[in-house]
Amino acid sequence: MLTALQTCPRHLLVCEKSSFLQERSRHSAHVETHYYNYCVSICLPECRLLPEKVKNIIDDFGSYYLVKNLPVNEFLTQEFNDRFLKKGLFYALSYNTRIDQDNVAAVLPTGKLILSVNKDTYEEMGLQGKPSLYSGKKAIRYIVTIDLSDSSMSPDGKKFQRVKWALTEKKPLALDFLVSWDPLDNSEQPSIQSYYSKYVVKECRFQVNSNVSRDLLCPVLKSDELHGKEGTSCSASEVFEWLGAISNEINCNNESNSFISSFCCPEPSILVEQAHVCTVTGFITPTKIQKLVKQLREYFNEPKLSQWVSIMVHGFADSPVSWRETEHGYFKGGENLYSFVIFNNEDYWLQMAVGTYDGCPP
Amino acid sequence: MNGVVCGNWSASSSAAVYAYIIYQPLPEKEAKDLGLEIQSHKKSQEFVNAFIKHCIPNVKTLSTGEYMSRKAVVLEYSQEKKKRKQHKAKGITAKERRELKLFTVNPDQQRYHMYLPLHELWKQYIRNLCLGNRASAQPQMIQMKLLKADLHGAIVTVFKSKCPSYVGLTGIILQESKHIFKIITKEDKLKVVPKLNCVFSVEFDGFISYIYGSKLQMRASERSAKKFKSKGSIDL
Repeated sequence: MLTALQTCPRHLLVCEKSSFLQERSRHSAHVETHYYNYCVSICLPECRLLPEKVKNIIDDFGSYYLVKNLPVNEFLTQEFNDRFLKKGLFYALSYNTRIDQDNVAAVLPTGKLILSVNKDTYEEMGLQGKPSLYSGKKAIRYIVTIDLSDSSMSPDGKKFQRVKWALTEKKPLALDFLVSWDPLDNSEQPSIQSYYSKYVVKECRFQVNSNVSRDLLCPVLKSDELHGKEGTSCSASEVFEWLGAISNEINCNNESNSFISSFCCPEPSILVEQAHVCTVTGFITPTKIQKLVKQLREYFNEPKLSQWVSIMVHGFADSPVSWRETEHGYFKGGENLYSFVIFNNEDYWLQMAVGTYDGCPP
Repeated sequence: MNGVVCGNWSASSSAAVYAYIIYQPLPEKEAKDLGLEIQSHKKSQEFVNAFIKHCIPNVKTLSTGEYMSRKAVVLEYSQEKKKRKQHKAKGITAKERRELKLFTVNPDQQRYHMYLPLHELWKQYIRNLCLGNRASAQPQMIQMKLLKADLHGAIVTVFKSKCPSYVGLTGIILQESKHIFKIITKEDKLKVVPKLNCVFSVEFDGFISYIYGSKLQMRASERSAKKFKSKGSIDL
């Protein structure tokens, strides 16, 4: 049993190096298709105060909504389709539902409703789905995907009637949903609060945490040396580990009497006077992260002491998808995250990591 | 002791007397009264010998006298051979029935309203079966009876199924076989639903029972005699 505990379960880390200036750079696609983001942490070495522009963007994040006990069939109505799906990017994810035991639902901005349901619900619901990839030979979890924006889902269509009947009469599912909406045009905004006035809607603000570390050992990075070089720079995977330690405020001094952490900063490293780590927690849409990334690129417009900054984005552990529609499971941690290391020459490193029950990141 | 010996003697002596009388030739006078013809002693002896020879089946090695001196004489011992009754097939075989299309329902007879009287009949039957004289009965009793009852004519709904497209199918049962139900839906469509991996709900008089099809996989006639064991929640 001990050996089973000691071995680390399967995990994947994909690192790639590219430049924002390159035409075929996929950085925005990667950000956009990671739909559900739980927390963003920005690490700025040699910086005491958060730059004004970055701070403004974080303040402009606005709020997201928690709709309590919302029936899933609310997403099927024509009004919802017209008001939200066609006019913007709508994100909804069931809240406080565990992917390995409860029924989980999510609405992707592409207009797809994804239901990850347990076996009993699936048998009762009567909607065609496919068994989950991670539930073994005898499937105990099924994934039902319904394309809400599809042309075959017209209100008179047979398919639509079946889905509606299944979700309204046969097995009415009601879950708490985290909802966020990014309208395409800013002209008029039907607010989520007024649309869901029948239900209990709670407006939630994003939580911002700032932390400044002093006299920190910081790894030396060179943008064109992704794998690192002995004595001159650190590799991407080492930096990824270090970023994780920094954002969790783990002591990296490698003291001999510390029983909690024996982690130390990868070599070579330099001592920086201070480093700012800012963490935003909430239901963050990819559009907001896009804005942040863009702003961080502009951070180097003025000369700065540090060579790089980083932004790390964590996905929801209980979300049914990670990137695009890749199925996501929990297993031991359910982690799905990515981080950008942005260099001052518009190069970037992208590190995408997933846990055991997840497909390979794109 | 003396008396017993005495008795024995007298019995044997009287037997000897009777034997003497029996083997006497018939007196002429009595024979005349009865209208019988008295044969001479020799003649009658010949007749008896011939008769015995005729009756005793092929005993060639032994003379009749020798044979007769034996104690056990079996007359007419030849047994008649019992003729086995040949098992006759009852009616026609299942294969022939299939060929005659006895199991299929004609498309012009696949009308939902045609079977509503059957459903009424079934309701009446279930009411008689479950409630009988009493107005109310225990749910468990009703369920036990329903399980063994004939389901032809019942309106059933597929409540749960491993195959999601069966879920929600409602109709009157027209036919039940070991593994399937044939159901006619309100849209006049005949559907064949396997019992395996399905849970059916049967409703009558506002009382809904769920039947696990996987445990019901037998013919209706066999089911009526089967003893069901009550179990807790079971998986499909």
